[in-house]
Parts: sequence; structure tokens; C-alpha cells
Amino acid sequence: MAAVLRAFFGYLFLVMIVRIVGRRPGKQMTPFEFVLIFFIGGLALTAIVGDEVSFTNALCQIITMGLAHYGIAWARSKSQRFGRLVDGTPLILLENQEWRANTLQHMRIQDDDVIASARESGIKALEGIDRAVLERNGEISTSPRQSGS
Amino acid sequence: MATKPFTRPVENSVAKVNDEVAVGEDLEFQRKWWRFENAAWIAFTLIIVLDLSGLFGRGPLAKAQRHAADGTMDVKYERIERTASPSIMTIQFGPSAIKDGKVQLYIGNSLIKLLGTQRVIPAPQETVVGEGGLTYSFPASKPPASVDLALQPLGPGIFDFTIGVVGAQRVHAKVVVVP
Repeated sequence: MAAVLRAFFGYLFLVMIVRIVGRRPGKQMTPFEFVLIFFIGGLALTAIVGDEVSFTNALCQIITMGLAHYGIAWARSKSQRFGRLVDGTPLILLENQEWRANTLQHMRIQDDDVIASARESGIKALEGIDRAVLERNGEISTSPRQSGS
Repeated sequence: MATKPFTRPVENSVAKVNDEVAVGEDLEFQRKWWRFENAAWIAFTLIIVLDLSGLFGRGPLAKAQRHAADGTMDVKYERIERTASPSIMTIQFGPSAIKDGKVQLYIGNSLIKLLGTQRVIPAPQETVVGEGGLTYSFPASKPPASVDLALQPLGPGIFDFTIGVVGAQRVHAKVVVVP
């Protein structure tokens, strides 16, 4: 019982912490963020598993996490409001050759993060970006400026 | 015949920018979220400051000391403990606690069971069961003389404990065990 509750609240707490700490997983993840994710995971494991190292405990805790994850995914698909709470919304970082300074500051993103993504799309310089968007999964998508615009 | 898939028409449910690209940005929501994030960071900082101060155990605020009114003993313990985390309770005996070359120490059951006494250091010469607890006997010469109890609480809660030298005033105190 206690182990299942620990797994459930541990999962919710981790979802909240990762949501607050920032949206830069996936392609934008730097070694420094890898440390954060693995360290949080390791610390959570100690408290959630405790000294209950049985197979039954592992099975029940994994199922609990699966159910909690399913519950969040289901609620997200049913309620747009909840979805925004869990995932946030995409955010424009650069548009019409102007930075969204407030967004960059709050999301702790720098111009070299944007140009790194732009290079993947074949854009060579910041002047070549029409719009850069921080997606919900943490990736930065860029669209090239049309010539003459 | 192949089963027909369920379908529904595509709607313009994602907000567009300049009527061109569907981005779905919601700055109003995001500003509220940033305000929440700022409050969360303040709360996190506060939690860590309180933790360092010992409000959740293992710090200056958690340490406590009680004296028996008749001077037979001093008890140093942690008033805030953490579940399954070890700690030491130290009992320092006064001169009046030592009689006939020994000290007899009574420990209530809550200290043994709920606060999880794991070891008594040094090992007692004799243990007697009764009066809702255990009475340990230790050979003793002159003060300073002390006994340590290694505790490891089993679960969260607020627990009273009783401890005292046999035939002298007992010390009663509360310990909060956090999860």
C-alpha cells in the first residue's frame, strides 16, 4: 500500500518538478541537463523504493507509474486546459527579426540555442530565420525567411 | 471486406500566427504559468532553508534536550526524526543516578517499538521486561557516564516517549517523525 502511494506521489512530484525546472529535453538537452535528469531519477528511486526490494514491489510500483501516466495522458486528451498545464504551449522565440526577450528570459534560452536548431534546417545565420518556436517537447523549430521578405 | 476506420473532419483548433502558421501559442496562459513558476521557486527555496534549519529533521531546530527535575539524567535527542533514518539519543547520568555501582534505566515501549531502538550502547548487563517497557542495568562508577540509544523510526507520526532512572523522576517528551 505505502509503496504504491510512494510510487504515485513520486511520479506526480517528478512530473511537476520537471515541468517547473524547464522545457529543454530531447534534442536541446546539454550534458548539464543530462546530469539533472539522471540525478533526479536516482534520488527519487531511493525514496520511492526504500528498502522494499522484492519483485512484487517493483511490479506494483511499475504498474502504478504506468496507470498514473495513462491517467495524465487521458486527462490531457480530454481537457485542453489540463494539457496546457502539463505540457505548456508552444512559444515564439523569434519573429519578424525580433526576439521575444521575455520568453527567452523565462525559458532560459539563449540565441545560440536557436541558431543551433536553425543550422539543422540549413539556415546559416540568425538573419535567415523567419520564425523560431519553442515546441512543447523542448525542441526549437525554425522556418527560413523567404527571399525578399 | 476491410473494416472502415473511424474518422472526423480536421478543424482549425490550433491558433495561428499572422493567419499563416499554426503555432498554438497562448501567451496569456504562459504569463500565468511563469507567475506560478516564480512562486514555486520561492517555495522550493523556502523548503530548503527550512530543511537546513532542521524543521524536517537533521538540523539545529531538530535537536532537543530534557533534564530530569531531580538531576538524575539529561536526555539529548532529536525532536524531529525522519522515517527509517538512524539517529542517536544520548542519556547522560547525574551522580544521584548511580547506586551500588550500577545504573538502572527504564525505557518505555514507544521508544523501543515506534521510535525503533536498534541498539543500546554499551550493551546492558541485564534487561528486565515490565511496566510497559524495558529496564536496563549498566555497571557504573562515577559521572560523567552516558548511554546511547541508536534509533530508527519505523513510520511517520507524533510519538510520546518515557525514559528515566529507576526510582527517580522520569522524562516525558514528544518526537515528530516525518515521512
